[in-house]
Amino acid sequence: MSNPSLSVSGAAKAAPANPARPTMRRRSKRMKAALPYLLVAPAVIYLMLITLYPGVYAIIQSFHEVKFGPWRPVGLANYEKLLTDYQFWGALWNTFVIGSISLILQCVLALALAFYAYRDPWVKGWRIIFLVPMLFMPSAVAFIYKLFFLDGRVFADLLMKIGLIDGNIAFQSSTWMSRGILILADVWQWTPFLFIIFVAGLQGQDEEVEEAARLDGASWYAIFWNISLPMMKPIIAVALILRAIDITTMFTNVFIITKGGPAFGTETISYFIYRTGFKFFNFGYASAASVIMLIITIVIAQLVVKRAFVSSRS
Amino acid sequence: MASQRKKSKGENLALRYLILGGWALFCLAPVLWFLSIGLRPRTEIITPQPIYFPSFSLDAWHMIWSDWPMGQYLRNSVAAIIGSVIIDLVLAIPAAYSLSRFTYKGREDIGFYILSTRMMAPAIVAVPIFFLFRNLGLLDTIWALMLIYAAINLSFVTWIIRSYMLDIPKELEDAAKTDGAGELRILWEIIIPAILPGIITASVIAMIFAINEFLFTLLIASTPDAYTMSVALSNFTGGSDGVIYNAIALVAFLAFVPVFLVVVAIQKHLSRGLTMGAVKG
Repeated sequence: MSNPSLSVSGAAKAAPANPARPTMRRRSKRMKAALPYLLVAPAVIYLMLITLYPGVYAIIQSFHEVKFGPWRPVGLANYEKLLTDYQFWGALWNTFVIGSISLILQCVLALALAFYAYRDPWVKGWRIIFLVPMLFMPSAVAFIYKLFFLDGRVFADLLMKIGLIDGNIAFQSSTWMSRGILILADVWQWTPFLFIIFVAGLQGQDEEVEEAARLDGASWYAIFWNISLPMMKPIIAVALILRAIDITTMFTNVFIITKGGPAFGTETISYFIYRTGFKFFNFGYASAASVIMLIITIVIAQLVVKRAFVSSRS
Repeated sequence: MASQRKKSKGENLALRYLILGGWALFCLAPVLWFLSIGLRPRTEIITPQPIYFPSFSLDAWHMIWSDWPMGQYLRNSVAAIIGSVIIDLVLAIPAAYSLSRFTYKGREDIGFYILSTRMMAPAIVAVPIFFLFRNLGLLDTIWALMLIYAAINLSFVTWIIRSYMLDIPKELEDAAKTDGAGELRILWEIIIPAILPGIITASVIAMIFAINEFLFTLLIASTPDAYTMSVALSNFTGGSDGVIYNAIALVAFLAFVPVFLVVVAIQKHLSRGLTMGAVKG
């Protein structure tokens, strides 16, 4: 989706294969050239149906007012409105703030845990225990945190018991505390994702280099910082990109825990699009927001992801 | 292997176990607490003072089977997920074969296009997909869920399988080729058996993502006909009496246990799968 021009050319190349159905001898030669395209074509066509088609649809819809009746062309009105919509900019900002804090915390924690775990004789056991949060359905995790902090007031009660506060905490009226809950839930569930990858990266490194450094008297900490970490850079980059993609599309926790509140302070861009489209049935406007997000995605995909994935691998 | 590594003299083992043990506690405590929520009566969940030592009750267990069509939600989830994994494998195996075994113009671009669909935020395509399925008359069916889960996971599955295929030595194929075997026969008789672990890993990861999927399911499923476990949870709000947490907790564990067992079984391949083959763990 993020790369429509490329996909179109891919399909165009695959196309000439279809009409080719001449005699056996010719066929075998042409078939040979066409075969790789024929093999990859079904997947590409399927993905285009489910990504390129919606992309084009969203672009067209974004120039219309689409509520309940027929589409009414409005030109750039939706985009003009978006540019001055503080809720839209707020949603972009919230996504960025919640996402980056969450990502940084997860990365640091996962690196620290991987550093301590990978040489441990019970590394397999740690890995299984740490995996547990990741394997719960995100909607269930959202309810755990909703009950713990909001509905059940367990967190406030625990703090009261150890004497840190003397009263209830009004999480729902504080933007930063609400964001904190979203961040905590994300860190709890997804730090294992990075941990698993980092441990594999550390275990996969060349042990001889490590051993040599150790015999030279270097501490484990120094080895990690000066040898392991630089070697792990490509792995860290790939893992963080994958995590960043998921964090920027954060929806489930917002939908269940905060509903975007208080005062839109935790509304992410995904929730903004959902609310505009499916709560207020302002589909044209929601599509305009989708298109802007799509453009951001394509730019990031081309600048960052392509480099991290394709060039480092081939 | 990790177990063979000797520990350095100056290393502080106490600190290591404090940190690892602390994180283990942080991982497990909420889970155990939530299990206790599932096994207590509803009257002891949301109370003026949180109750830490509740009475034991299987109310929620009876409730999820008698008051809700939980069996149907489960069937919906399983059908949609298995269907989507089959679609993914049918599309991804030939695609991965093409991307890993042939050299041709545009290969890198096609590969990147497939990868890049993973970056798509569900919210971006949510509105058009909703209309697409409405026009096709597929709203509120598990067929729509199947198609959408397959689309979400296709990039992952293709890249994981591609990574495993790249590891197969070319000689294996060349030998078969000199015996006169065609490309498709090589794929079927040599490549697929050799990368079976990769195919299983990819399927398991696709399964997890499909179980977790929330936004599309929320939009597509509007009646119990197509509710899956994930979205059914958010509908356990029981109307006027608020969220029914003990039922939610039990359903969460019901979904968790099989996933956990399967993932433990493929542990070794997990890191490679999660990075679409970029890390060979």
